[in-house]
Amino acid sequence: MSDQKPERIHCPVCQAKFKLVDGWKAGSIVICPVCGQKLSLVKSPEGWIGERPEKGSEKEIRERAEEYARMRGYSFNDMKEDIIEGLIGKNKRFGDFYCPCRMLHVPEYQCPCQPTRAGDVDKNGKCYCGFFWKKT
Amino acid sequence: MAEKPKVYALSTCPYCKRTKRFLDDHKIAYDCIEVDLLDDDKQDKVLDELEKLTGRRSFPVVVVGKEIIVGHDEAKLRKVLKL
Repeated sequence: MSDQKPERIHCPVCQAKFKLVDGWKAGSIVICPVCGQKLSLVKSPEGWIGERPEKGSEKEIRERAEEYARMRGYSFNDMKEDIIEGLIGKNKRFGDFYCPCRMLHVPEYQCPCQPTRAGDVDKNGKCYCGFFWKKT
Repeated sequence: MAEKPKVYALSTCPYCKRTKRFLDDHKIAYDCIEVDLLDDDKQDKVLDELEKLTGRRSFPVVVVGKEIIVGHDEAKLRKVLKL
């Protein structure tokens, strides 16, 4: 058995480092298994990183939210479009898709925010903003 | 109505928008502070004010006289505003 550690990819959205899968190479498009972000793989001298191919676009946040909900088995309700609008407003005013219902604009609150990624939806039935919902 | 409601909101918050829309639809005049758009000094002051009022930093907050409504709550708004 090899002692070599598997290579990891850094996600610039949730800051997670997830395993590189056999067959992935520079330019491959992959989904961050932690936050649902679509990433294009780049090999840098420091290791593998994921770049955001549609950074800051409405398409990016819609795809991220859909992927995240699909991976976790969550659903949306009639607030979905209003919250997407709020996320787009956050990106315009504060530079990225931070939670539109919170005051702070910090990486921890990139949507899906850290408390959501840590299980708030399963615990409370919904995320802080009421964007992601646990299916009943 | 005696006192004009004061709304503390975030410019991006969908629930704040619903609260403002509710007041607009009922032709209620109100003052609104979009806290995230204030400069740092004013923002600190308003956030301190909000923490004293509600014990947290959650939006929207509607203040009508001595009544404080945290979150978008149409039933409470109707009751307090006698709609």
